[in-house]
Amino acid sequence: MSQYRDIEDAAAAWLMRKSEGLSVEEQSNLEAWLDASPEHKLAFWRLEYGWSQAGRLSALRSPDFSDERTGAAGAPRRRLSVNSGRRQLLALAASIVIAACIGLVAWPHADIFETEIGERQQVTLEDGSRLDLNTRTRLRASMSENEREAWLDEGEAYFSIARDPARPFILHMGDRTVRVLGTRFIARRHGDEISVSVVEGRVSVDAGGDTHQAPEILTAGDVVTTEGDQLQRRREPMEEMDARLSWRGGQLVFDQVTLSSAVAEFNRYNHTQVQVTDPETGAILIGGTFEAGNVDAFARLLDSAYDLNVTRDGDVITISQ
Amino acid sequence: MVDDGQLQAWFNREVFPLEAALTRYISRHWRNQSDIADLRQEIYVRIYSSAQRQLPVNPKAFLFTTARNHLINVARSARVVSLDLVADLEASFPDLTGLDLDRQLSAREELRRVQQGLDRLPKRCRQVMMLRRIEGLSTKEVAERLNISVRTVENQLVHGMRALTDFMMGGQGRIRRAGATRVGRSESRT
Repeated sequence: MSQYRDIEDAAAAWLMRKSEGLSVEEQSNLEAWLDASPEHKLAFWRLEYGWSQAGRLSALRSPDFSDERTGAAGAPRRRLSVNSGRRQLLALAASIVIAACIGLVAWPHADIFETEIGERQQVTLEDGSRLDLNTRTRLRASMSENEREAWLDEGEAYFSIARDPARPFILHMGDRTVRVLGTRFIARRHGDEISVSVVEGRVSVDAGGDTHQAPEILTAGDVVTTEGDQLQRRREPMEEMDARLSWRGGQLVFDQVTLSSAVAEFNRYNHTQVQVTDPETGAILIGGTFEAGNVDAFARLLDSAYDLNVTRDGDVITISQ
Repeated sequence: MVDDGQLQAWFNREVFPLEAALTRYISRHWRNQSDIADLRQEIYVRIYSSAQRQLPVNPKAFLFTTARNHLINVARSARVVSLDLVADLEASFPDLTGLDLDRQLSAREELRRVQQGLDRLPKRCRQVMMLRRIEGLSTKEVAERLNISVRTVENQLVHGMRALTDFMMGGQGRIRRAGATRVGRSESRT
């Protein structure tokens, strides 16, 4: 039997999961797998190299991609042909003509932005909109003549959208969509749970799916969050909005929130994970301003100021009374 | 000690781009072609271990010298081995100026190679790879769009990643299904 084939199989499975975004636990499992033997590492690196090379092809996105979607065989005109240069040229010319006919010359090119745990990234889109990506976030953006679209696959981002009444900006979060003309807002997504907080201007949020809920029109200070399938709306004072934006400066601001929700916030930013042993401890209210990446300072404070038991075992900090 | 981050970058920069040439070298000197992937992996592991101590100054020479020595070792320790093979290998110190080793693929050629690799995949597998990698959809979105299960998408991705990487790096780019039987190394160590 070829050992290598088995290893490569496992490496490909890992790479696939990594490309979807790994949980903290999966990440450490992957690291353990890689560290288990150089064979693992090399098989994984090799595939990762191939995978990243393949990604460069996204520059050649097909204008008639719908063929692929409907399941028709890949149209030959799309391919960079294996054959003679002349044929390639013809194929290229044909594809331009076809693309022009169906008005898709400027097929939108989706840019992908991703951040790791604890990382933040500032992005400026083609239309001048500025985005701040928070920890562990994956976002895709695509600009076309008539529309500006983005997909928040996971995580959180602050959007400062350049005003362009002719081209609405549409943010997709699963079934939910946020539609704006020019405004500033924060969107956050974890799986099916989303929240949208408006800092300035107006945005419309559509629950999507089968909810038949009318789109919510939000203005500055409004926040919607998901409760099951439904969207819940509330209004928050602007100071609260500042606290919601504090991560842009690498800070977490808590104002009398429960320990368990503060801990959940810290866990988004750090490989070191904090756990609270019982609900009673988790219900303690705390407040303060912390560095998102300095979970140790947070733990020390719980120990000294709140007199809780704080124990550390590797990458896990446990808090009990 | 060179850390893994540096090592991976070094492999990406210096070693993996030579894989097509390395594979040709192995296949020219090894009778049983089904051993190639294993042999190549063993050579990579040897290089990794040495490079951990210090990155080689001349990666190409180092890669091919290691390959040659490894093939000789494996051939010698095999029970059934033709003496010709060993003699041949010992005389075979690869000509580092030839063998289109110096010929790095241009960016355009690389892209074409990816496109060809994709075109060789079975239809369903190609659709999944295109949507996931080129269009940037998530696994779940690919499943929804093609109306197949997430599990199927994942399987296709695993096959597709392997076959595409293989092809891009100079191999045949064939999908190898799990459970496909494979003849053991005929000249293998015991």
